Amino acid sequence: MPDSTVLTQSTRAPQAHSSSKADKVTSSRRLSGRSLVLHALVVLGAIMMLFPFLWTVVTSITPSGTLASGPSLLVKDPTLDAYRKLFDSLPVGRIIANSLFIAIATTVLQLLTSSMAAYAFSRIAFRGKNVVFALYLATMMIPMQVLVVPLFIQMTEFKLNDTYLSLIAPTIAAAFGIFLVKQAMDSIPRDLDEAATLDGAGHLRIFSTMILPLTKASLATLAVFAFMGSWNSFLWPLVVIRSPEFMTLPLGLATLKGQYTTEWDVVMAGSVMSIIPIAVIYLFAQKHIIEGMSHTGLK
Amino acid sequence: MALRMSKPFTVKLLALSTLSVLALSACSQGSATKQETAAPSEGGDPKTVVRYMNFSANGGNEETLGAIEAAFEAANSDIDVQIETLPYDDYFTKLQTAVAGKTVSDAFELNYENFVTYAASGALAEIPVSNAAAYSPRVFEAFQHDGKQLGLPVSFSNVVLFYNKDLFDKAGLDYPTADWTWQDEQKAAEAITDKAAGVWGDYQPISFHEFYKALEQAGGSFLNEDGTAATIATPEGEAAAKWLVEKSGTSMPTEADGAGTPDFDTNLFKEGKLGMWHSGIWMFGGLAEVEDLNWDIAVEPGDAQKASALFANGAAVSATSQNVEAAAKWVEFLTSSKEMVDLRLEKAWELPPVADDALFAPYLEQTPPANRQAVIDSLDAIAMPPVVVQQQEMQDIVGEELSNAAAGRKDVATALKDAQERINNVIK
Amino acid sequence: MTSAAHTWEPIATRKKKTDWKRYGWLAFFLLPSAIPLAIFVFRPMISSLWISLHEWNLISDMKWVGLENYSKLLSSDQTWDIIGHTLLYIAGYLPIVYFGGLALAVLLNQKIYGRAFFRSAYFLPVITSWVVVALVWQWLLNPSNGLVNQVLGFLNLPQPGWWTDPVWAMPSVILASAWKDLGFVMVILLAGLQAVPGDVLEAAKMDGTNAWQRFWRITFPLLSPSSFFVIVISLINGFQVFDQVYMMTGGGPSGSSQVIVGQIYDLTFRYGRAGEASALSWILFLLIMLVTAFQLVGQKRWVHNA
Repeated sequence: MPDSTVLTQSTRAPQAHSSSKADKVTSSRRLSGRSLVLHALVVLGAIMMLFPFLWTVVTSITPSGTLASGPSLLVKDPTLDAYRKLFDSLPVGRIIANSLFIAIATTVLQLLTSSMAAYAFSRIAFRGKNVVFALYLATMMIPMQVLVVPLFIQMTEFKLNDTYLSLIAPTIAAAFGIFLVKQAMDSIPRDLDEAATLDGAGHLRIFSTMILPLTKASLATLAVFAFMGSWNSFLWPLVVIRSPEFMTLPLGLATLKGQYTTEWDVVMAGSVMSIIPIAVIYLFAQKHIIEGMSHTGLK
Repeated sequence: MALRMSKPFTVKLLALSTLSVLALSACSQGSATKQETAAPSEGGDPKTVVRYMNFSANGGNEETLGAIEAAFEAANSDIDVQIETLPYDDYFTKLQTAVAGKTVSDAFELNYENFVTYAASGALAEIPVSNAAAYSPRVFEAFQHDGKQLGLPVSFSNVVLFYNKDLFDKAGLDYPTADWTWQDEQKAAEAITDKAAGVWGDYQPISFHEFYKALEQAGGSFLNEDGTAATIATPEGEAAAKWLVEKSGTSMPTEADGAGTPDFDTNLFKEGKLGMWHSGIWMFGGLAEVEDLNWDIAVEPGDAQKASALFANGAAVSATSQNVEAAAKWVEFLTSSKEMVDLRLEKAWELPPVADDALFAPYLEQTPPANRQAVIDSLDAIAMPPVVVQQQEMQDIVGEELSNAAAGRKDVATALKDAQERINNVIK
Repeated sequence: MTSAAHTWEPIATRKKKTDWKRYGWLAFFLLPSAIPLAIFVFRPMISSLWISLHEWNLISDMKWVGLENYSKLLSSDQTWDIIGHTLLYIAGYLPIVYFGGLALAVLLNQKIYGRAFFRSAYFLPVITSWVVVALVWQWLLNPSNGLVNQVLGFLNLPQPGWWTDPVWAMPSVILASAWKDLGFVMVILLAGLQAVPGDVLEAAKMDGTNAWQRFWRITFPLLSPSSFFVIVISLINGFQVFDQVYMMTGGGPSGSSQVIVGQIYDLTFRYGRAGEASALSWILFLLIMLVTAFQLVGQKRWVHNA
């Protein structure tokens, strides 16, 4: 196993197949024209991707309160009324503070539990590892819709209903993150930690000073998804929270929909507000995702 | 090999997680002790807490409900009502889970359609009613089960025929009256429809609620006498289904035209492109805000007879409540007190379930619509929804088979036969 | 993975002590995740297994029915229909989202102008809620005046009824889902691409390989751990597709796009048949487990794990 490292693989790969010279010549010729086409495609794709978000923003500043019969990017009399209504009808500050606190706590805890478990699966040999890993993955295979009721009954037994802890506890650890980070750790050459072991380094040191920094890209990715998962979580908070002081953003936004009618401009204003924090986290994390490997000096 | 630059990162991570764990344990303690106790009343005795969960105050009437609560607490200083308001879409998910976890609030709201499910499952406590005469008898009796009063009506809304006066004028038609029949409506709808201009004559959702009502208008009944089987694959059922389905595409927009997407019909009517619209009185407020929209309402047209749909909400007391007596007191106040009637009518928050029509006077004085009296007149011939324990499933089946018929995937008779068979399998 | 057990057992006499220490470390690294998962996921899972043996509407008392829920489900055509719909969803969704995400990741890993902006733009749908996305796609795919059909009409191509047509409802959901999740796959593969050493690619370029060859012979194999992750996770999530179906088609028209978790949700919270819902979710569990186990075993053939 230790011999199939990144470096050996990658040097081996090109030798396995021989390249045809004819391809090379034509491909370098086409390059600039192709790059133009690529740029055009990327821009076109980006417009398609940005459109719903822009539409959300536009609807949120359109007066009237109903959905237009089709999305339009032109606004006649833009207004911030919807945002004003949003702040009037919900304690937005408190709600956002709750959601932020829960999402940050969840993210930090998941980063910690995921990286530790991933290290165990990637670097510590033990009997039945595959079975244990399969058990971890199994936790993703029963839909939340079915777990909500038994989990709620259990939380009631623990007397944890209607607390911050009840919101965070079920996501302290998640197989998704463990799997993600484990895959990243698996692709770090084992020569590195074996050399460190010979130098007398223990697991804790190898984990924290070598392996973790090399998985920064995955940890940043995980941070984005853990934050997003908690930030958008709806079904569980809905059933477990009953005091308004613990209300989270998705619960608050859901109250904007009425039994018979809905003020869509306010709903869209809420959507915009819920997208922004994740976008910020993503922008921040993106730097680490891309730079993850290049700054560690692994060469 | 790069072993440096990593310390701060790890240290930060560890410090952050320690902090969050500490914060967590702190906040779980803080709130665990807070709940069930309430501030003592002036005499020094602890107040009885009554938790009440509802959906109908959501979306703008939270303060009105708060005012009713304040009035109740002023009259009952030993009771502290704690209100939790949830959106309708999510309400029953939460309610069922809370019942399953045996932590449901002392009292909670139920719409009429879902009442039977809870009543039949033994989740509701009997409410001793002191002034039964105050309630409008039809809705009062709706919340009885096996001879017991397991709920009280909170409020109701009904459905009327909205129409656009300008479109009627343009087509040279007389406005709808309370005497109209389906034929009158259909003729007017066809005269108004101008597909090229995007103008449609009529809109009536092809749904369970419209169907059961049309079925009664046609002189039929959705369920048999003892409510054990559906009776919709009948000539009356076919007449009702055809009435809904055959409009689609001729004088009424189809699903492919966008019907069924959020706000589609509302926008169409607001834009002045819809002649007639079967909708609820909750639309009054929104339509009043639209400038240059010249509209009014009429009692819905009938066929063999008149029948108007009624949406009723009720309040019930949980069978597991520790404070049944106090909870029942609150529910009775919420459903029949003078304070409630005044507040509801003032805020136009649905209609109070009272027996005395004279109480509606302040409501009827408001315009638009000019013909508000039609709201009260509609109550002369009410069609209550058919209810069974497997209510949602029955409603879904009807909706699905009707849309099959509307899209031409099945003919009306087959769709109704299939629906009846499926329903009878479910409710047996 | 399997050979690792031997490298840590050098001398028989020291084995006991090493084992003790190793399992100590194992506990240290594994327990922080194992304990919460055991309490907050495994325990409810076991409860749901118990519930699956009962008739229960959440409101009244549970009634023991043994395996009746399972036999009822397995003998019902509807169960096989919804499993079929779910598999159809996966078959359409997975290739689009994987290869699309891969192409995007490779593209946005190159030096193109405004790279950081595009990376964010393509991620935006991932963080936009399904409520909004479903509305937009219902409009885009509106049979009579939606943008897509207008374009198709302009090109003289047939214009399907999309979400209003039983045949096209699931393709509509697939399209919207793939569009939304492209950015998810892109981000994970982008992170994976950072592990591909630039100097190796450079050396291969010197050797005269073209970009296409370099991608398939160097980048793609090195990306395989990330690819493996994406495929396993997308399959697990694909089997549990729900939100988009619920919001775009509601399982219709005529049940043609009803999926497994949609049925589970309806049975639990709308139809008062929680026992059946639990049984169905354990059938789903077995399905996912089977497919995932197959992948875990098969990964040795193509995933270049260290």
